[in-house]
Amino acid sequence: MNVTAFYIAAAIAMVSTLMVITRKNAVQALLYLALSLISVAVVFYDLGAPFIAALEVIIYAGSIIVLFIFIVMMLNLGKRATEAEGKLLRPRMWIGPAILAAILIAEVAYLLARGNTTAAAANLISPKQVGMALYGPYLIGVELSSLLLMSALVGAYHLGWHKRPKPEAQDVGREYATRIDAGRDSVRVGSDRSAGAA
Amino acid sequence: MTGADAIALLPLIILAGTSVLAMVGIAVHRSHGFTLGLTLAGLAAAFGSLWIAAPLAPRRVTSLLVIDHYSLFYFGLLIAADFAIALFAYDYLAKRDVNREELYILLLIATTGGAILTASSHFASFFLGLETLSVSLYAMVSYLHLRRQPVEAGIKYLILAAASAAFLLFGMALVYAELGTMEFAGMGQIFFAGHASDTLLVCGLAMIITGVGFKLAVVPFHLWTPDVYEGAPAPVTAFIATVSKGAMFALLLRFFYRSGATNHQILLVFTIIAIASMLAGNLLALLQTNVKRILAYSSIAHMGYLLVAFLASGKLAVEAVTFYLVAYFITTVGAFGVVSALSTHEREAEDIDDYHALFWRRPALAGLFTVMLLSLAGIPVTAGFIGKFYIVAAGAASSIWALVIILVVSSVIGLFYYLRIVAEMYASPEREGLGTRSHVSSPARAVLWALAVLLVWFGIYPEPLLRIIRTVLPT
Repeated sequence: MNVTAFYIAAAIAMVSTLMVITRKNAVQALLYLALSLISVAVVFYDLGAPFIAALEVIIYAGSIIVLFIFIVMMLNLGKRATEAEGKLLRPRMWIGPAILAAILIAEVAYLLARGNTTAAAANLISPKQVGMALYGPYLIGVELSSLLLMSALVGAYHLGWHKRPKPEAQDVGREYATRIDAGRDSVRVGSDRSAGAA
Repeated sequence: MTGADAIALLPLIILAGTSVLAMVGIAVHRSHGFTLGLTLAGLAAAFGSLWIAAPLAPRRVTSLLVIDHYSLFYFGLLIAADFAIALFAYDYLAKRDVNREELYILLLIATTGGAILTASSHFASFFLGLETLSVSLYAMVSYLHLRRQPVEAGIKYLILAAASAAFLLFGMALVYAELGTMEFAGMGQIFFAGHASDTLLVCGLAMIITGVGFKLAVVPFHLWTPDVYEGAPAPVTAFIATVSKGAMFALLLRFFYRSGATNHQILLVFTIIAIASMLAGNLLALLQTNVKRILAYSSIAHMGYLLVAFLASGKLAVEAVTFYLVAYFITTVGAFGVVSALSTHEREAEDIDDYHALFWRRPALAGLFTVMLLSLAGIPVTAGFIGKFYIVAAGAASSIWALVIILVVSSVIGLFYYLRIVAEMYASPEREGLGTRSHVSSPARAVLWALAVLLVWFGIYPEPLLRIIRTVLPT
């Protein structure tokens, strides 16, 4: 384990998480969130857990955040969103995440160039071992997690549900229009609303 | 996992399976009555399966769960409470204009999470059970999401519960870093080995207590309680007050009983929390005019009483806690059952004026509510009295006199606000109040009567219940 690398990655994680909750632009906040998760992955890598680091990048930074950004961008069609999207290309919006990401890349490159330290290699945990543990002694934990996700799914479905006027229910275009007008469950790009309860 | 393990886990499997069945049922055909029926059938089957699982107890199912008589007893308690709450929720939701069926899925999953808590012997199952309970509760609290108040309550609960879960998780990490084990039993050996004063360990335990304290809503982690109690639908409030807190208390008891930390210096923290909860809960309730808020503050005080029993170490303490929790479950479910029965289409029956002269309009409901309130106050002939008596006895046996004296004093303060509601209900009718129109279905009414009968029965003749409780020490 490289202590300096750990502190740099941890500092980036903290700074970017702080930025997530203080940014007013949802897409910018999500960029910082992705960065925060990637820096946690670097911490894991530095601690000698490359498998968990890879999972962190693939699952959190990869699928979940991309899904977030995708939904936020998709839900907000309209004039306001287009304006906000234009703003995204200004350097002010992307320079912060870009600098932090560059530091992380440099750090990972350095760690890779140095190669595995002996301490990290000694207790390297392989994906096979993780799988064996999950479906052996922790089987109940896996089942419980599925139950947890199910309750989150049912809850999200219920809270996202809105009664729509019945006659228009078949008319896809009208239904879509009312949803955008109501805009209750969608996060407006550029507004100060949070990115939803995740 | 073997076949015997699966049989020992049968109550949990049935609970979880029913929630999946209910979800599939809703997808095929949305029917409020059918979903309720399925939920009740599942709960009844899970309750029945306790007797199938009982011969196998005590049994460790992987390192995560322990199915012993203690956890089976609490399974039964949680399932029975959930049964009553589901029936109250039916009446309550029938008056409301939302998708009604999802609440039962969430109820079932939350109960499963609570049951996991009572059976867990490992940090992993502790945390997963807690999160399953919490995540279902976020949606349940803000179930009437088209109104402002429930959503506000839901967001408050979400943020505070997430923050406390973070504390809990970090505390677990610290304890694990220090002890190298996540099993409660393994921790016991290390506590006894004399490492118990390490700074990391104390920090970790303190953070775990923060997480647990939040769920129990004890002072100083109680700030969310009145708002969430007020904003959540009445049946959900009943669930938070009973299943969520009861499961957490069962876990707390098992954790300290099993890890052998009952003499650890960290228990001083619990002494302070207990005193603060008893006094603050009762004093803050005095000036409230909202019945749900009064019950919220009273629940803070009751958790304080329970902590007194918890601090009185030994076998008597476990019995006292268990008996008190049973009485508290019956009483609280009953009290919120009356509140939800009186709620109308537009609003909850939460203002104390809604209860003005209730006796002259709805004598049965007023009588039932009186029994519940008197039991909460700990008046003789109710189970609440025997419970409090038991706690005082356990406290006296361990000679923690300061706590016992504060318990008695704060109970006297508590009498005031319970009797204020009672006095309001029996006042002569001067103005038109709420509750003349709301309809109570006969199953819900039967459950309310059954709860009242149980309260008086355990208040007069607690021996059968005590005989069961004596066999349920945590292993």
